[in-house]
Amino acid sequence: MRFVLRRLGFFVLTMWAALTLNFFLPRLMPGNPALAMMGKFRGPVTGQALKALEVAFGVNTHRSLISQYFAYLGDVLTGKFGTSLYFYPESVGRVILDAIPWTIGLVGVTTVLAFLLGTGVGIVAAWRHGGLADSILPPVFVITSAIPYFWIGMMLILVFAEKLRWLPASGNFDITMTPALTPAFIGNVLQHAILPAAALLITTIGTWVLTMRNTMVTTLAEDYVRMARAKGLPGRRIMLDYAARNAILPNLTGFAMSLGFVVGGAILVEYVFNYPGVGYMLLQAVNNEDYPLMQALFLLITVAVLVAILIADLATALFDPRTRTGG
Amino acid sequence: MGPVSATAGPAASPDLALMPAGAPRRGGRPALSRLFRAVRSSRKATAGTVLLVIFILVALFPGVIAHDPPNASIYPRALGPSAQHLLGTTALGQDIFAQAIFGTRQVLIIAIGVGLFSTAVAVLIGVAAAYLGGLWDGSLGLLTDVLLVIPLFPLLIVIATYVQNAGTAVLVLVLTLTGWSYTARQLRAQALSLRHRDFLEAARVRGERRLYIILVEIIPTMTSLIVASFMTNALYAVLFGSSLQFIGLGDPNTVSWGTMLYWAENNEALQTGQYLWAIVPGVLIVTLGAAFALINYAFDEIGNPALRPVRGRRGRRGRLPAVARPAPAAAGPATADLATAQSPAAGQLTGPGGAILEVRDLTVTYAMERGTVTAVDRVSLDVAPGEFVGIVGESGCGKSTLLFAIAQLLAGPAAITGGSVVFKGRSLVGLTDTQLAAVRWKDLSVVMQSAMNALNPVKSIGAQFKDAMRAHGVSSRQEIADRSAEVLKMVGIDSAHLKSHPHQLSGGMRQRAMIAMAMLFTPDLVIMDEPTSALDVVAQRSLMVQIKELQQQYGFAVIFVTHDMSLVSHFSDRLLVMYAGQVAELGATREVFDSPLHPYTAGLMEAFPSIRGPRVELSGIPGTPPDLSRPPAGCRFAPRCPRATTRCAADRPELYQIGATQVRCLLHEHGRNSGIADPDLTGPQGVSSD
Repeated sequence: MRFVLRRLGFFVLTMWAALTLNFFLPRLMPGNPALAMMGKFRGPVTGQALKALEVAFGVNTHRSLISQYFAYLGDVLTGKFGTSLYFYPESVGRVILDAIPWTIGLVGVTTVLAFLLGTGVGIVAAWRHGGLADSILPPVFVITSAIPYFWIGMMLILVFAEKLRWLPASGNFDITMTPALTPAFIGNVLQHAILPAAALLITTIGTWVLTMRNTMVTTLAEDYVRMARAKGLPGRRIMLDYAARNAILPNLTGFAMSLGFVVGGAILVEYVFNYPGVGYMLLQAVNNEDYPLMQALFLLITVAVLVAILIADLATALFDPRTRTGG
Repeated sequence: MGPVSATAGPAASPDLALMPAGAPRRGGRPALSRLFRAVRSSRKATAGTVLLVIFILVALFPGVIAHDPPNASIYPRALGPSAQHLLGTTALGQDIFAQAIFGTRQVLIIAIGVGLFSTAVAVLIGVAAAYLGGLWDGSLGLLTDVLLVIPLFPLLIVIATYVQNAGTAVLVLVLTLTGWSYTARQLRAQALSLRHRDFLEAARVRGERRLYIILVEIIPTMTSLIVASFMTNALYAVLFGSSLQFIGLGDPNTVSWGTMLYWAENNEALQTGQYLWAIVPGVLIVTLGAAFALINYAFDEIGNPALRPVRGRRGRRGRLPAVARPAPAAAGPATADLATAQSPAAGQLTGPGGAILEVRDLTVTYAMERGTVTAVDRVSLDVAPGEFVGIVGESGCGKSTLLFAIAQLLAGPAAITGGSVVFKGRSLVGLTDTQLAAVRWKDLSVVMQSAMNALNPVKSIGAQFKDAMRAHGVSSRQEIADRSAEVLKMVGIDSAHLKSHPHQLSGGMRQRAMIAMAMLFTPDLVIMDEPTSALDVVAQRSLMVQIKELQQQYGFAVIFVTHDMSLVSHFSDRLLVMYAGQVAELGATREVFDSPLHPYTAGLMEAFPSIRGPRVELSGIPGTPPDLSRPPAGCRFAPRCPRATTRCAADRPELYQIGATQVRCLLHEHGRNSGIADPDLTGPQGVSSD
């Protein structure tokens, strides 16, 4: 219980740090970016849009920094993110809500899949330490870990969309189709998801394979694994119940810690494939200087990662009896 | 940056792992030459280093390879590859080859800059947090963790957006600020683990200043992790610097691979068939990234040698390489004669001589990077049903290796390379785990040194009992529950603790629970590896008494390894004294104690206080056991032996039979019962060993 409480405390603290960073970053930058942007802003600057900017950056207000800060915290906690400048007159909240399901569907599913798959391969590779797979896989995955997410996306487009014309290169579904729960539409959505999902899978799976393989190799040298052999347990049980179950614990934490990194990659993949998820919206906001949207998306991504980390923590508590009792 | 590093979860302790097992640790001196050798022996590190050196040369002298001014739009647009433009030209009429070559410089500056700065910050924060401790450690650790979990790339994007058109210096700064935390966390973990090491305590006692300790003692010890940290951060900078430039947040007028990709995407390279615009810079990024990643991974392997690929050995665990078939009995100069069984021996299936276990010329070698080390050298031993055999010797003499070889539990670089183990008439050497399963636990069980390590931390005691019983065909729940409770009671633990996890029990209870587990099937032989050494003296005694009682009640044989002579003196029937992988002396416990034939045995006896005898000064044995990769030419004990003659340094003693005892000492070469058995040299008075 104490473990869970401590992790909850950490969650709140990190959340607060991200909120504060989000508030102070634009205000600390040399040459107030909001003022620069106001000058460049060519769209119809309505009163509402102006107000959105003022809220985001504290321009043209006479309130003190502290009172701005608390007003900002209040707005965020009550979900008031203002109006998007680029998608005007839609609210920031609306734009984000439209983007979220696509990201959860693509990035969420792919990330979990990559973790499970990679961990499985890592377990087997370590178990057959010295086998053929174990000597080939590590160098291969070391190299795939050096591939930029966006570039593997471009190469997949080049091969499968431009050259072979097997799969669509961009978007989440054919714009000629109307969204409906029909097999045809769902099939179309899946078709559009294959290439971006493959890009994410290729670039992330190597990490999980390598970390799991390495922790597992270390765990296999533990006395309790030797003891399990001495007891004459079947190999599969030793591999899963004695070695893998212990080896996966530090990896769950590692998985949580790496999520922020994966999300970064996902942003680029969405960008390359014009996949209208949260990451794509973030880059739209950046390119169109839609600061309120950008700030809200940054917060949203941070919250998502923190929640995922919390889930990983709870899973650790579930699998490791040592965290349930004791400190 | 989790995904770019392959470091295994718990912080490895790199330099300790570089030491051969059992080598004494000499404090925190940088093992640079060893590090260098290790790098050279790793193909991954060599490949990475060669690539990196090529890139650095290109970055230093781009003009030698490509003559064009890289950014000038002076050629026809979108040309294909030709002799003049090896890789064609861009949409703006720039030479792609020249851009690629000249672009190397900015990428490398960013990579090396971020690598250096991030690593410096990480070392500073990590070491300071670990060394200053207390509030500093708490807050710095928290800061590291908080920054670590905030998604880096969105944060980078936000900062870069505010900065607008980030040039090289700004990119280095931003990437450093966001990137240092991952390696800081690793370095902190390692510095923390170093904190209470002997050599640091020693430095503190010497009164060294803090700064001195950090600079001279801590940092050199972490060399390989620091190098790995640099590589991780450099890789991160290459990937994320390029990413920022790709989405247009860098300065679009700089010449760099990321910028090239930005223009490729903006000019629709893929849609217009200009594939080289995208392929060339991407391949370069991957190659440079791979160079950093390979070196980083190689350093992880150097830090934790177990991760290295195993060459020339079958992969699947439990299968051993071809083993020398059992040598004929005549091969050994002397075979242990059977001790008289003193405990009840029901009509069990035994070998031809009545022994339940016959070990003949058992040899175990470790395959190390530089040759092999023979850890157990032609050991022969018979164990009769119900017999209690003690094996004594200092650490590193091969006692535990011998035990695990008998139980067929060797792993990793250790393997049986000669001799035989026959248990209940069945040869065990070379059997697979599946074949061994029939014998294991039912007939032969094992108790290890530390139950904390030997019990699975994530399973309850009861579940671990259940696993063992189910593996041997006991499937009835009731039967499992009853037997589990019964064996726990046998060692004096309430059956409620079947639900407990190992960490919830005290040290003594854990050891007892492990012994209870070994009793599940009332085996014929229990192999015990220092089962009491983790306990305090009082708990040790009571556990020993318990083991002896169980043994007398159920009649199983015991092989008991310990370094504590006084512990076995009262409990064992026979004693095997091991030195440097060989049998030094083997005989009935009483006789060995009353008149030790080997000077090493005599020395061991003096190293422990006699419980009944008069108070005498403990002299012990000066020096340490030899390095088994280079054993002394003659008698292995000669360099430390108070009675060594010039002959001892040259001639190898065999095992000589003296009465019922075997001894490996030239003093007894011709069966002379002389020398050490001299009355004034034995007994509690002891020898003066100067």
